[in-house]
Amino acid sequence: MTFPFEQLMVAGVAIPLAAFVVLAFVGSRLGKPWSGYVACAALGITTVLAAAMLFNWYGLTAAQQHELSTAAMENSYLWAHLGNVPVQIGVKLDGLGVIMFFMVSFVSFCIFVFSLGYMAHDSDQIDGVSQFHRFFTFLCLFVFSMLGLVAVNNLLAIFIFWELVGVCSYLLIGFYFHKRSASNAAIKAFVVNRFGDFGFMIGLMMVFTYLGVLTIDGAAEVFAGAFNGTLPQGHRAYSLLETGPLGVTVATWMGICLFCGAVGKSAQFPLHVWLPDAMEGPTPVSALIHAATMVAAGVYLVARIFLLLTPQAQMVVAVIGCITLALAAVIAVVQTDIKRVLAYSTISQLGYMIFGMGVGAWIGALFHLLTHAFFKALLFLGSGQVIEGCHHEQDIRNMGGLRKKMPVTCWTFFVAVLAIAGVGIPGVYVGATKIGLGGFFSKDEILAVAYFRTHEVDVREATGHGAPAHGDQPSKESADHRQHGQTAMMGSADGAVTAATETDAARVTNLAQKYPRWLFWVPLAIAYVTPFYMMRCWWLTFMGKPRNQHVYDHAHESPLMYVPLAVLAVGVVVSSYLWFRPMVAAAAPTGLLVAAIDGEHGAGMHAVHAALVPIVGFAFVVGFAIAIAIYYRGLAVGERFATMLRPLHTLAVRKFYFDEVYGFVVVGGGLALAGLSRLFDIFVIDLIVNLSAKVTTLVAWFSGWVLDLWGVDGAVNAMAQGTLRVASDIRQFHTGKVRNYVMYAAGGAALAALVIIFAFGRA
Amino acid sequence: MFTVTLQHYLALGAVVFCLGALTMMVKRNAIGVLIGVELLLNAANINLVAFNRYAAPGALDGQLAAIFVIVLAAAEAALLIAILVNFYNNLITVDVDQGDRLKG
Repeated sequence: MTFPFEQLMVAGVAIPLAAFVVLAFVGSRLGKPWSGYVACAALGITTVLAAAMLFNWYGLTAAQQHELSTAAMENSYLWAHLGNVPVQIGVKLDGLGVIMFFMVSFVSFCIFVFSLGYMAHDSDQIDGVSQFHRFFTFLCLFVFSMLGLVAVNNLLAIFIFWELVGVCSYLLIGFYFHKRSASNAAIKAFVVNRFGDFGFMIGLMMVFTYLGVLTIDGAAEVFAGAFNGTLPQGHRAYSLLETGPLGVTVATWMGICLFCGAVGKSAQFPLHVWLPDAMEGPTPVSALIHAATMVAAGVYLVARIFLLLTPQAQMVVAVIGCITLALAAVIAVVQTDIKRVLAYSTISQLGYMIFGMGVGAWIGALFHLLTHAFFKALLFLGSGQVIEGCHHEQDIRNMGGLRKKMPVTCWTFFVAVLAIAGVGIPGVYVGATKIGLGGFFSKDEILAVAYFRTHEVDVREATGHGAPAHGDQPSKESADHRQHGQTAMMGSADGAVTAATETDAARVTNLAQKYPRWLFWVPLAIAYVTPFYMMRCWWLTFMGKPRNQHVYDHAHESPLMYVPLAVLAVGVVVSSYLWFRPMVAAAAPTGLLVAAIDGEHGAGMHAVHAALVPIVGFAFVVGFAIAIAIYYRGLAVGERFATMLRPLHTLAVRKFYFDEVYGFVVVGGGLALAGLSRLFDIFVIDLIVNLSAKVTTLVAWFSGWVLDLWGVDGAVNAMAQGTLRVASDIRQFHTGKVRNYVMYAAGGAALAALVIIFAFGRA
Repeated sequence: MFTVTLQHYLALGAVVFCLGALTMMVKRNAIGVLIGVELLLNAANINLVAFNRYAAPGALDGQLAAIFVIVLAAAEAALLIAILVNFYNNLITVDVDQGDRLKG
C-alpha cells in the first residue's frame, strides 16, 4: 500500500497541538523539567514522522509524486462555502511541503532540546517564579501553527495559521512580560505584522472575488486561464486584466497585496522594524521563530503564490528584497549586541530570499531558505550558549577569547559563519560535487539568476531550444511554461496577452525585458558585506584576548546545549548537499519565469554561473580578510574607522532612524486620530446626548406641570365640583321637615291624578 | 231658589279636603297637623254621605261607611297622639319643624 503521507502529515501537525493542550491544562503541575520532556517527546515523534515522509517521498518517481499530490488535493475536507466559493482544506503534498515540514520539525526539535538546557537555571524566571511550562506550552502551539502553515493547500487556511504564528510570536517575545521593553517589543511585532496582514487580507479578498477559488493550485489555474483566455466568457477573472490604480493591472495589485503579508512576516523593508526588537525574547525563541521558521513563512507564501504574480509584481518583490538586504547588512556592521547582529543578518538573508523570488529564482530562494534555517538556528543557539554561559552578557565588546572556554560553541558557530558567508572552493570538485557550505550554493544561485535577469545573456544557443525569445515572436522554451504578461517595466500599463501560442497551455516567458542593473550589483556588493560582519561578530566574541576578565572567568559550556549545536552543524552540511535542493527543484511550479541552475535550462545557467565564479564565489575571501584585518587586535582599529566615518556610522547605529520616523508618523498619527476622536466624542456625541437629556427634562416638566396638573387634574376636579353643586342643589329638598314631605306627597298625588284624568281619562 | 245638588256637596267635600291637606302642610304645631288629618277624613265622610243620599237613596251603605271612617279616625288619632307623646319625650317640643334629623 502506498505510504500514508497525508495521514502522517495530519498526525504530525496534530501531535504538537495535543502537546499544547496537555501542557496548557496540566503544564503548571508538571512543572520543570517534565513539561519540557513532554514537549520534546511530542516533537521527537513529529520529527520521526517527518523524516519517514522525507525518505519515502524522495524515493518516489516524479509521476508517483504528481499522482499523490493530486490525490491529496481531492481528499481535501470541505470546510464551508463562502458564498459560492467552497473552502477546501487539505494537505498540500509536494516536495516543497514535505521538505519544509521536515525542516521545521527537525530544527524545532533541536531547539526544544536546547531550551531544556537553556531554561534549566534561571532564564525562565519572571519575578523569581519559574515559568518553564509556559515557555514550552507556547513553543508547542507555535510548532503546531507553523507545521499547519506549511501543510495546508488553501490560502485561507494559510492565513489562519499565519495569524496563529503571529500570536505565538507575540506570546513568546513577551515571555519576560515583567520587562517593559519585552512587552513593548511584543506589541510592536504584532502591530507591524498586522500592517502586513492588512495587505494580505486585501489580497485574499481579491483572490476570492476575482479568481473564486481559494486553493493554491486552483487559484493558479484560474489566474493562468485569465491570461490565456481559456476561461468561459464573462468570468470574473478577466477583470484582472483591467488597468487599476496607478496604471497597473488589477492582477499586479493582487500579487502586491498578497506579498504585503510576506513583507510584514518576513521583516522586509519597510516593515522590518519589529525583528531587532523581537530579540527581547529568550534566545531559543529568537532561534526558532525569528530565524528559522516563522520569518521564513513569508518566503514560503511568496513561493506558493508565485504563479499569481505578474512581472510587475515580481519586480516589486525583487526591489523590496534588494532594499532590505542592503539596509540590514549596513546596520549589522555596527551592531554590538550579539543577538542584534544576528537579527539584522536574518533580515538581510530574508531580503536575499525575497529578492531571489522576485528575479525568478524560485528554487534558489527556497534552497537558501532551507540552508538559512539550519545555519541561522545554529548561530542563534550558539549565541544563546554564549549569553547563558557568560551570565546574560550580550555585548560583544565585553567578550573575546571565548574559544578556550567554549570550544564546541566556538567551532559550531564558525561552521555557521562559513555557511552564511557562502564559503566554498569554486572550481574544485570531489567526484561530481563541489566543495562548499550553505550560501555557497544557495546565495550564489540567486545571484546567478539575478545576473541572468539583469544582463543580456545569450541562453538560447546554449540550451539549444530554438528561436530567440525576443520581441513578439514567441518561442517555446518548455512545453508548459506560462506567461504572466508581456510588458515589464513598473508603472506602465500591462499589455494584452499575446495569443500567439499554439497549444492552450504553452506560453512563453519573456526574458527579453531585463531588470535594471543595480538589482544585481547591490546584492553582489552585500555578498561581500555579509562575510565581513559575520566574521567580525565571531572574531570579537571568540578570538583574540578577553576584554572583560570577569565575564571570561565565569564563562562555561553546558552539554545539554551543545549537542543540538553539533547536530545542527551536521544539518548545515547535509542541507547543503543532500535531498533539500532536489526536492525543492522537483516541486517547482511548471512554467517558472526563470528556471534555476540545474533545471531545464541548465546549460545556459551553468555558463552564467561559471562566469560569475570569480566575483561571487570568492566574495567571502574579501569579507573575511577585511574583518580579520580590522579586528585582529580588538576594537581599536574598528573605533578609528567609526570616527572617520562618523556620519555614516551614526546613521547605521541609529538604524536609519526608522523607529523615530515610524514613532512620529504612525504612532503619532494614531494618537492624533485618537485625540480627534476624543474631541468628537466630547463635543459632538456628548452634545447630542446632553441635548436630548435636556429636551427630555423639558418635555417631562411640561407633561407634569402643565398637562397633568392643569389638564387632567382640572378635568377631574371640575367633574367633582359639578357633581357637588348639583348635589347640594338637590339636597335642598331634604329639609327633614315632615310638613314639606307631606306637601311633596300631596302635590305629587294631585299631579298624577290630573295627568291620569286628562291624559288617559278621555278616551 | 236653587236646589242643592250632589255637586254642591262634592265641592264642599273637595274644599274641606284641600283645607285639611293645607293644614297638614302649613301648621307647625303637631296638634294642628292632627286637626288637619281629621279634616281630611271628614271630607271623605261628606263625600260618602252625599253619594249615599243622591246616588243611592234607598240604601244606607254610605252612612255605614262614614261611621267606619269615624271609628278608624278615632283609632288613628289615638295612634297619632302616641307618636306625638314619643315625639315630645325626645324633643321637648311639639314643633314638627324641630324633627329634622333626617335632613340631608
